[in-house]
Formats: sequence, structure tokens, C-alpha cells
Amino acid sequence: MIPRGVRYALSGISWPLYALLYTPLALVAYYSFAPAPNEAGHSLHAYNVLLHDGAAFTALRRSLILAIGSAITSTALGTLLGYGLCRFRSPNAKGVLAHLPSLIIYTPIIMPSLVFGISELIFFNLVHNATGFLSAGLETMIIAHITFQVPYVALTVYARLAGLDPYLFDAANDLYANGLKSFLYLIIPVVQPAIIGGFLLGITLSIDDFTISFFTAGPGSVTLPIYIYGAIARKGISPEINALGTLMIGTIITLALVHFFITRHRDRAGQFAARGNIT
Amino acid sequence: MSATAQTEQEIEAGRQRLRLWVTSGPGLVWIMIFLLIPSAVLLGIAFFSADDYGAPVLPFSVQPFQQVAGYSLLGWDPGNITIFLRSLGQAGIATLVSAALSYPLVFFILSRPEALRPLLLLFIVLPSWTNQVVRTYAWLELLGPNAPVSWVAHLLHAVPPDLGLAPGSFAVTTGLAYNYLPYMIVPLYASAEKLDWTLVEAGRDLYASGVRLFWHAVFPQTLPGLLSGIIFVAIPAFGDYVVPQLLGGDKALMIGSLIANQFTETPDWPYGAALTIIMLVFTGMGLVGFRILTRKLGGAEEATI
Repeated sequence: MIPRGVRYALSGISWPLYALLYTPLALVAYYSFAPAPNEAGHSLHAYNVLLHDGAAFTALRRSLILAIGSAITSTALGTLLGYGLCRFRSPNAKGVLAHLPSLIIYTPIIMPSLVFGISELIFFNLVHNATGFLSAGLETMIIAHITFQVPYVALTVYARLAGLDPYLFDAANDLYANGLKSFLYLIIPVVQPAIIGGFLLGITLSIDDFTISFFTAGPGSVTLPIYIYGAIARKGISPEINALGTLMIGTIITLALVHFFITRHRDRAGQFAARGNIT
Repeated sequence: MSATAQTEQEIEAGRQRLRLWVTSGPGLVWIMIFLLIPSAVLLGIAFFSADDYGAPVLPFSVQPFQQVAGYSLLGWDPGNITIFLRSLGQAGIATLVSAALSYPLVFFILSRPEALRPLLLLFIVLPSWTNQVVRTYAWLELLGPNAPVSWVAHLLHAVPPDLGLAPGSFAVTTGLAYNYLPYMIVPLYASAEKLDWTLVEAGRDLYASGVRLFWHAVFPQTLPGLLSGIIFVAIPAFGDYVVPQLLGGDKALMIGSLIANQFTETPDWPYGAALTIIMLVFTGMGLVGFRILTRKLGGAEEATI
């Protein structure tokens, strides 16, 4: 299809581009092995400092609570949402009302995260002033993170269900499975890869996010990205920040690769298609 | 149709509607309460006056929009228009750069064995899964004053000796292109994967040159992917907050930072809300414009819910 000469040219351009994509990340790792003050060479000094940095660990714990807590809730909401829209929406419904669910689902995806974050900031602020509930902190962050994850989970589950043979549902009906039974014994097992994929996607989105977290956080809910951002703003990039960044990059790359190679055999095409639709 | 059959059908339709609401209701209501209502409130605030602390108060006012246009007690100032144009320019260049890089990458992946392609694609998307702050400040280390790239730029007399390439406009554009490259690659790959190669073969049989082959047989077929990619890159890049904040410094202020400042450092909610409206109007016009263009060009329909 592609002539040999062009293939060589493509390789010649692309491999350096791949290298360029990872150069900044590699540089973060390289600088994290900076020596202790007044010493030369490379060392694990920064990691040692990090190990005794209580604030960093507190931030890590909050980030994990935020990511896992929001992903569990959004997986539940999103799975039901994707399932309901795929199965129970009347195909010949017309008008604004029929498009409303799609409009609602795509809003969090399309909305610039800055507008998203500031809307939440104002909303939580007003609600707190009026009722005393929802003061800015980890709970408001979790609510915001659930909000941006739900559509992605719903789309993942929907894509999986829409790709199924519709006669599967008829077969379940013919065998007298009621709604709940067919949900538990047919839908859940069939959609399971999409649910797991949606959950992992939710965690990834949560860990990736800075902007929305930044505007919904309170003084007592500094998570890792906010911690790093604050440290850079105050005193620039330090070896400790690089060490922390290296650990974060390493973790997410490892998780992604493990996820890729596990799902590759089971459901490669489906997983990739689902993710492709989303990003 | 008999009357009982009719009512039975109605009952079934009612049941179906109930099931729809029980399953999809919670998620939809959640998004409505925690995103649609808050953003409506934000937009509404733009029509209030600001008190001394920047909070919205009555009476209603168009003053926030006058502020956006650059009018204040001190007279007219072109600062905001400069920031708007700069944001458009930065986002535009970042989009062009990511499109220019995506074509060779996408066809490189397609030239590899099929089994390898998902992995090659993964390695392009992977950096974008690391945290936004980390992958952005990483460029500060590559382009900062003491980094090798800045020495080279200095030797070429592109920057003064004590300044690096970051912070500044160049770093912002680079950072935006880096952040949003996967959003260009994925849709472009999706449409290039479905490419009808017989058209290319036909062109080759007619002795078309490589450039003509690409331009007339390949490029039109990838256009739907390219147009989606442009939307996916340009819109978030235009309103990005982290990249200009970390890589821009004072000289490369973008609309995102300007908006954020009205809610953090020097609060003026109505002014910030008015800026947001203008930004969303620009974004919306771009979106609609591209939608029309895509449809005119016979673009692919995306999978929609």
C-alpha cells in the first residue's frame, strides 16, 4: 500500500517524534536523581526527602480517596445510564425531549474544564452560604469528579451494548427472564469488560485532572496535583517535586501497560474502539 | 387494532418509559444538578453588578461586558482584545502543529504490522494519561533557561542569554500541542484506517506523483478525521488553564488565566462570568462552523448516544 521509500521517510520522522513525546517525562525522572546539596553525581536523595514529607503522603492519600471514591460512584451511575439509554429509549421518539439525554451527557465532555471548574466553585460557594452544606473540600471535589466521569462510563457501556446482537435480549425474554434477572445474569456479565474499562477510565481521568480539582478544592483538601502546582508556584521545581512526578508518571504508565496487555487478548478491538470514541 | 391491544401497547410503552427513567434518571439528574444548573448560574452572574469584594449584587448591569470590551473608569484599554487574539493564535498554531505531526505518525502506524498498531497508538496516547500538571511542568525543564534546548536557541540568537524558551509564547504553543496531540491522532487514525487504497492504486496506475497522490487520493479521505481532530484540539487549547499558567509567564497571558484570575486572585465574579460567556460564544461558533463544514464535505457521522 505505502511505497518503500515513503515508509522509510515515515519511520525517519516518527521514531524521533516518539522519542520527543517521552523526552520531557524522561527529564523529570533524570532530575529526580539529583545529588544532595554539596555533593556530586546522582543519588536517591530526593526520594529520601519525599519519604519523610508528611504533606506529600497526605496529598497522595487524598488523591487516592478522590480517584477511587468518584470512580466507584460514577461507574454505578454511568453503567445504569448507558444501559437505560441503550435498552429502553424508544427508537421513534422525536423532538427536543428525545435529544435531551444526549445533550446532557455531552455537556460535561464538551465544556472546557476551566468553565466546568469555575461553575462548580460558584455553585458550591452559593450552596454553602445558603445552607451550610458542601463547604469546599474533598466532598465537593468528589462530586465534581463524579460529574465529569459519568458520561465517559455511560458511553463506554453504551458502545459495548450497542455492539451486541439484539436477539440476545429477545432470547432472555423468551426464557422468562424478567428485567432484574436479565440485568443480573445477562447484561452484567456481558458488559463486565466495559464496566471495568469505565471504572479504570474514571480513575485515569480523576488522576489526570488538575483544573477542576483546583477550583473545587478547599484549604484542607490538597491533592497531589495541587500540591505539586503549589510547590512549583512557591519555590520552583525541586528534586523532590521531580521525584514525586517520576513516581506518578511511572505508576500511570505501568497501570496502562498492564491494563493493555490484560485486555488485549480478551477484548482488544472493543476496548480500543471504546477508548477511541472517547478521546 | 382492538381497544384492548391499544391499551396494552400503551401500558407497555409506559413501562418502558418508567424503566428508562429508573435506569438513566439518576445519572442525568446528577449531571443536571451538579453541572447544568451551576453553569447556568455562572452565566447569569455576568448580568449583575459587582460589590467591593467582587461578588454579584443587584442591580442588573451590562458593565461586565463593557469591561470585557476594554472599557473601564480609566478609559479604553486594548489589553483584553490582545489576550483574546493571542489565545486564538496560540490555539490555532498548536492545532496546526499537532495536525502536521499527526499525519506522518498515523501513516507510520498504518505501515506497521496490524498486531503492533494498538501498541504504537497506545504509546502516543500514554503521556496524556499522566497528570496535566506533571506533563506540563516537564516542558519547563526541557525549555527552561538552563536546559540544552535553550543553549541552542541562544547560540542561534533566538533568545537572550539569561532567558530560556520557557516561560513564553513558544513554550505555551509547544505545551498545548503536546497536551492535545492524542486528540488529533485518534480521530485521524480512525479515518485513515478505513482508507480506500484502491483510489491510491488507481492514481498510481495513472502515474500521479507522490504529492498529487496524497493530495487527491489520501487527504480527502482523511478529512473527516482531521476536522474532528481540529475541534478536539482547538477548543480545549483555546480555553486551557494549566499550560499558559505554568509555561506562559506574564507575557503570554491567555483567556483561561484571565478568567481564572477573576475568581481567585482579584475577585470580580460578574466580569469573570462575562469573559466566560464571550469565550463560550467563540467556542460555540467554532464548533458550529466546523459541524457545517464537516457536513458539507460529507464527513463521517460519529457514534452518538
